[in-house]
Amino acid sequence: YYVSASYREKRMDIRLSLLQSAVDEYNKAKNDFAAKATEDEMRLLRFQRKLDEDKATELLGLSLQATMEALLALGFHKQAEQLYRDFKVPEKRYWWLKLKSLAKKEEWEELEKF
Amino acid sequence: MAAHLSSGRVNLNILREAARKELRVFLDKCAGSKAIVWDEYLTGPFGLIAQYSLLKEHEVEKMFTLKSGRVPPADVKNVIFFVRPRLELMDIIVDNVFSEDKLHSSRDFHILFVPRRSLLCEQRLKEQGVLGSFVNIEEYILDLIPCDSDLLSMEYESAFRECYLENDQTSLYHTAKGLINLQALYGTIPQIYGKGECARHVANMMLRMKREFAGSQNQILPVFDSLLLLDRNVDLLTPLATQLTYEGLIDEIYGITNGYVKLPPEKFAEKKQGEGSKDLLTERKKLQLNSAEELYAEIRDKNFNAVGAALSKKAKIISAAFEERHNAKTVVEIKQFVSQLPHMQAARSSLANHTSIAELIKEITTSEAFFDNLTVEQEFMTGIDTDKVNTYIEDRIAQKEKLTKILRLMCMQSVCNNGLKQKVLDYYKREIFQAYGYEHMLTLNNLEKMGLFKPQTSSRNNYPTIRKTLKLWMEDANEQNPNDISYVYSGYAPLSIRLTQLLARPGWRSIEEVLKMLPGPHFEERQQLPGGLHKKRHQGENRTTLVFFLGGVTYAEIAALRFLSQMEDGGMEYVIATTKLINGTSWIGSLMDHPASKAP
Repeated sequence: YYVSASYREKRMDIRLSLLQSAVDEYNKAKNDFAAKATEDEMRLLRFQRKLDEDKATELLGLSLQATMEALLALGFHKQAEQLYRDFKVPEKRYWWLKLKSLAKKEEWEELEKF
Repeated sequence: MAAHLSSGRVNLNILREAARKELRVFLDKCAGSKAIVWDEYLTGPFGLIAQYSLLKEHEVEKMFTLKSGRVPPADVKNVIFFVRPRLELMDIIVDNVFSEDKLHSSRDFHILFVPRRSLLCEQRLKEQGVLGSFVNIEEYILDLIPCDSDLLSMEYESAFRECYLENDQTSLYHTAKGLINLQALYGTIPQIYGKGECARHVANMMLRMKREFAGSQNQILPVFDSLLLLDRNVDLLTPLATQLTYEGLIDEIYGITNGYVKLPPEKFAEKKQGEGSKDLLTERKKLQLNSAEELYAEIRDKNFNAVGAALSKKAKIISAAFEERHNAKTVVEIKQFVSQLPHMQAARSSLANHTSIAELIKEITTSEAFFDNLTVEQEFMTGIDTDKVNTYIEDRIAQKEKLTKILRLMCMQSVCNNGLKQKVLDYYKREIFQAYGYEHMLTLNNLEKMGLFKPQTSSRNNYPTIRKTLKLWMEDANEQNPNDISYVYSGYAPLSIRLTQLLARPGWRSIEEVLKMLPGPHFEERQQLPGGLHKKRHQGENRTTLVFFLGGVTYAEIAALRFLSQMEDGGMEYVIATTKLINGTSWIGSLMDHPASKAP
C-alpha cells in the first residue's frame, strides 16, 4: 500500500513518487476523492519543501492547518493566505485560526483591520 | 482476597482457582529459584489471576519487563519468559538469550506462551538457533479472566480490529476455546443463541470441538441455562455514545485498565499529609474498583446524576453509625461497637474516595463542552439533522479537538444516518486531512471498511425503524429510580442490551424484521445434555444467561444488564463475558493507523 510506504520513506523525492503511485492506483480504482486528496498532500509537501529551503522554516510533514498556524506565528501572512486560497479552506476555520494566532501575538492592530 | 468473585450468582472463583492451579503446576516444573521476564502487556491481566505472593511461594524472586539487551543480573537458576505469541517479541527473547550466552551463565530458560503457543514463533526461535536453549516451552491458557462477580474478559485488545477489519479469526478461536473450558467447569450450556457473522463462527467452532470430544460426557449440572453470542458490529452505535453511569464515566474520563483506575492526585492529597513527601503528590493515585467494595458495588451502575444523592445518604448512615458510640453503655455494647470499627472505617475511607472521584467527574460533566457534546450526540440518536454537515463538529475541528472525539461524533452521525451522503462524507474527510494531516487517510479507510463512517448506499435509512421498533430512545428516562435500561445513557437504550432483553421475553421471533436489518445471521442451537442432568427448576428460580460480546463491551452496557438481572419480574440473570472492556475512545483508537509514528 503506497500511502503507508510513503511515510516510511524519509527522502522527499521518493516519498512524492510513492504518493504519485498512490494517485495512479486511486484513479484506477475510480476513487476520485482519494486521488484528489493525495494530490493535495503532494502539493502541500512541495510547498513546504520550497518554503523550508527559501526561508529556513521547519514545516515539512505538518498538516495544512498546522502549516498555516506556523506561518501566521512566524508572520508570513501572505503565504498563509495563499494556502488558504489554494486549498479552499473553509472560511470559518481559517478565521478562527487567524484570530487565535493574532491574539496570541497580541497584534491588536492587525486584528483591528478585519 | 478474591471474595468479590464468589459473591455473584455464578461462582467465578472456580475459574480463577483453576487458572491459578495451572500456573502453579508450571512454576513447579522449573525447579529452583526463578526470575520472570514479563511481556509488559500481560502483567495487568495476570494481576487478576495471581498476586505476587503466589509467585513468591513458588520461588519467584525477581521480575523484569521484556526488553532487548541483557536480562538484568539476578541470582536465580531459571529465567522464565511470559509472552504473547508475537514474532517481534521472539526477536527480543533471542537477543536476551544471546547476550546471556556470552556470559557463559548456566541458567535455564523457559518460555510460557499466553494464551497459546504458536508454531510460527517456535520456528523463529529455531531459525535464530536458540530453540534448543529452552528447557520448557509451554502454553498457559488464559482465555477468560474473571474481573468481577458477573464479568469475564479476555482482555484481548485488538479483537475487534482483527475480526472485522483484518479478517483474522484467531480471537474467535480463543473465544470458542475459552467457552469450551468454561463448560468443562460449569457444565454444558444447553441453549446457544447468536447474532452476527463472528457469533456464527464461534458457535460452529464450539459445536465442532464438542464433537471431537464426543466420547467423554460432561457430568456437571449446568450452571448456565443459555449462551448469547453478540457481534459488536451488530451494534456499532452504543460504544460511540458517551456513557453516563458512574463507572462508565470514570472509564470515559480516566480509563479503567484491568480493574484499576489512575486518578489525578490533587483531590487525594490531604490524606497524605503525614508522609510529608512531595513526590507523592505528583504520582497518580491508583485505585482498584470492583464489587468487593460495598459502596462501589452500590453506585457503580447508577446514572451519574443519581450518584450524589446516594453518596450523601451513605454519609449520613456512616456518621449515624459513629454516633452510636455515645449510646454504648455496657461493656458488651462497647465491645460490639469496637468490633465493628474496622468495617466502619473502611466504609468511611471508601466514601471519601468516591466523593472525591465524583467531584472530579462533576467538574467535567457540568462543563459546557461536555454538555454541548452530549446534546449533539442525543440529536443524532433521535435523528435530528443527521444528513448534513454538523456545525458543532466543524467548530470542534477548527479548534483542534482531539481527533478521537471528532471521529466518535462523525461515526455516530454516519451510523444514525445509515451512512452519509457522498458530499458530506467528502467534506468531513477533507476537513480532517487539512486540520489533522493526510496520514489519517488510512484511519478513515479503516472506519469506512467497518461501516462506521461510510457513504450512503441505499436511499433508505433503516435506523429510524430500528429505533422505533426496539424503543431505543425513551423520552422520560428516569435517572434516579430507573425503570428501563435507557437510564444508562440518559435516554438511549443500548441496542445490544435491547436485543438481549427481547430474547428473554418475548423472544426474537417478534422482531424478525429488525433483526434482518442488522448485519449478520441470527441463529439458535441446542447442545444435548446427558440424561439426568436436566435441571429441575424450582418455583421462582431465575434462569442464567451468559452474554458474550465479541469485540468488546462498555461499562454502561454491563450496568444495563445488571439492571435487568435485578428486575423483579425479569426472571433472568446475566453473566457478562467479552473480548475486551471498551469505551468509544479506546475503541476508535484501536482502529486508527499511525503511519507517521512507524517511520524509522
